[in-house]
Amino acid sequence: MRNRWLSAALPLALAIVVAACGGTPGQDKPSGSSAGTPADQVKTSGFDKLGPVTLRVVSSEGSGGPREAIKQLTKEFEAKYPNVTVQVSFRDFSSWIKQAKLAAASDKPPDVFAGNQGYQLDGELVKAGLILPLNEYAKAYGWDKSYTPETLQQFSWSDDGKTFGKGTLWGVAQSGQSTGVFANLTKLRQAGVDPAQLKTFDDFDAALAKLRKALPADEPVISLGNKDQFGAIHLWGMIQGAYEPAQAIRDWIFHKPGATFDTPGNLKSLQKLKEWADKGYLGQGDAFNARNDSEAAAAFGRGSGAFVLGGNWNASIAKDGLGKNAAFFDMPPGSGGKAIAIGSTSTPLHISAKSKQPDLAAAYLDFITGPTAGKALVDTQQVPAATDATAKPGDPLGKEVIAGWQKLVNDGGLTLYPDWSSPTMLQTMGQSFQEMLAGRTSPQDVVSRVQKDWEEYDKELQGS
Amino acid sequence: MAAPPSTGTGAPSPSARAAGGDAERPVPRVRVRAPGEPRKVAYLYLAPAFLFYLLFAFGPLVYTAWLSLFDWDGLTVGTWTGLDNYRKVLSDPDIRASFVHSFELIFFYAILPVLLGLFLASVIAHGRARGVTFFRAVLFLPQTVATVVVAIAWVWIYAPDGPLNEGLRAIGLGGLTRSWLGDFAWALPALGMVGTWVTFGLCLVLFLAGIQKIPHTLYEAARVDGASHFREFFAVTLPGLRGELAVALTLTVITALRTFDLIYVSTNGGPGTSTTVPSVLVYQNAFSNGRVGLAAAVAVVLTALIFVVAFGITRLVDRDPAR
Repeated sequence: MRNRWLSAALPLALAIVVAACGGTPGQDKPSGSSAGTPADQVKTSGFDKLGPVTLRVVSSEGSGGPREAIKQLTKEFEAKYPNVTVQVSFRDFSSWIKQAKLAAASDKPPDVFAGNQGYQLDGELVKAGLILPLNEYAKAYGWDKSYTPETLQQFSWSDDGKTFGKGTLWGVAQSGQSTGVFANLTKLRQAGVDPAQLKTFDDFDAALAKLRKALPADEPVISLGNKDQFGAIHLWGMIQGAYEPAQAIRDWIFHKPGATFDTPGNLKSLQKLKEWADKGYLGQGDAFNARNDSEAAAAFGRGSGAFVLGGNWNASIAKDGLGKNAAFFDMPPGSGGKAIAIGSTSTPLHISAKSKQPDLAAAYLDFITGPTAGKALVDTQQVPAATDATAKPGDPLGKEVIAGWQKLVNDGGLTLYPDWSSPTMLQTMGQSFQEMLAGRTSPQDVVSRVQKDWEEYDKELQGS
Repeated sequence: MAAPPSTGTGAPSPSARAAGGDAERPVPRVRVRAPGEPRKVAYLYLAPAFLFYLLFAFGPLVYTAWLSLFDWDGLTVGTWTGLDNYRKVLSDPDIRASFVHSFELIFFYAILPVLLGLFLASVIAHGRARGVTFFRAVLFLPQTVATVVVAIAWVWIYAPDGPLNEGLRAIGLGGLTRSWLGDFAWALPALGMVGTWVTFGLCLVLFLAGIQKIPHTLYEAARVDGASHFREFFAVTLPGLRGELAVALTLTVITALRTFDLIYVSTNGGPGTSTTVPSVLVYQNAFSNGRVGLAAAVAVVLTALIFVVAFGITRLVDRDPAR
């Protein structure tokens, strides 16, 4: 018997020892960020005299045009500084946002890496002091002038990572990514829909009904991919824009006092989304849950569906598939008369607080996002985020994509992404939207679940 | 779990005293060992492996349990919250549902393959079928393929325009087609069938080997007594496979409870939360939602559950009736 007690007590004793060694988790991490590099210490040239150096970069542009642009620009940067080697690794966005915090906190983090706007990733990186403040570099390279204030807002946080949308600058981004309508012009013509006549959201709604009658029953009107649970959110963002003012949507994301999701406009937009699903605009059954965003775009490129309501990052996929028959435009406005849709810049690029070459890293950031980047971006069907990039695309779809972005910017209609509003919002919205589309829960219930998630995080931000 | 007759410590056994040969001294100062009795130095031989185990299995386990007592985002300093995370595990309906999903998976990963395996093994063992080795190899094959590969293959099979739906349409059952992994009601059973496909071969191979070990005389005796195939199965085959049954059930139930890669690749827990299992929740909470403490608590509960279930199975099935 004594033996058995011993064999039980020994692991227990060990457990206590091991646990005590652990201490409070996170204690040994650096708290708060370094004060930032004083302006006179920021170097913007002379990198060719550094000797052989390697810059490690992680990009979350895992596919398509954005990836090609980064490869091209990196090659040009290396040509400019032959002594510099840039190791870029490309990761899939969905998996990278889960690894980024661990990678940034490791002993040897990449010098430059992609984050994601919002509390889920960028807020945590700032709070933990894992990335460098960029204000001095912004002054040195003129970033504060080449981006609009609304754009810079996305990369601004208070130093404790709690207030989003103002304060210190922590990142810059490469391209403008807005959501809008991709159309298959052949199908529209066959159904007698003239895209030039789609002037209001109601026109668009009516065109959907017309197309539903014209297309075979097993073909969706809107090709949606919702396996990753964000496809339906992006689609809904365009409906939301028809019923809810853009400023109210952004205020809610930034946790401005008095903001709420529980508005008649949000409820109406969710009911409309459900109506579209019930009327079969999104295809039969739950097929959209079985494929992801780029698979749906590829299906559209192969000729399935009249529309894709999604991100302009799929432009190169649409163009490869449909050529001249692909068109892109902003969702026609609701009663407010302004173009409103989900959109922001691409994911922000950060410099690690542990980087040994922060100046070189900033030079690389400037090179791949600034005026030098314009051509590579438009060549890959993207919109440069910096307004001073002057390169213009040659093909019609590329022009339409840029026009769509610019109209949203000019109308003040970029609503950013609703999932930036709390660390768990992507999951909360994604799941409840799927349930609503399957008829398992009501639009009203989605509103309360989303608002509850937001309120819980709001309390966390107010407290402590 | 019964202790072996001598454990190397405690009072010397009677035989040891006899071997000492000195009846005058009641307690011999120099302990005399019986031949073959383990020596204490044996623990030294175990030490390297034990140390390895402590460092890489036991240590992380304990540290996870420690983390589960904090509210921690994975980066900044955590806050001690005691058992709050466990309270949440027990009260949150989504987390509870994920455990229910796990038990549904047990049916597909363990019960179904074991029943099928038992049936097929007894049929194959009796019939003199040709090509048994070939089929055994083919049925065992899924066990050797990486789960990610299995998942990608089945995502393709289950796709809205995949072979399964095309096959159904070809035989005039177009009404049954659906997007299997996108459907709230069917996604979990569809994943379960993948589990059956994977574990079935293992069960079959185990049982076939087990049947060959059962003395042939028992079958002859049963036949002489006029037992039907049915009786023979319950009186001879099933008791003879007790050990294999325990192994098969333990392995497959553990596989079911800790499923992660299959679900991560194919549905990521969706649609909604209909295929969320605890391991997926651990991943989501730890790596994307910044709720490391809660993730650790789910992991600890899952580990405890697996331990209890595995222990229960060995207790129930593997008990030697003679003892």
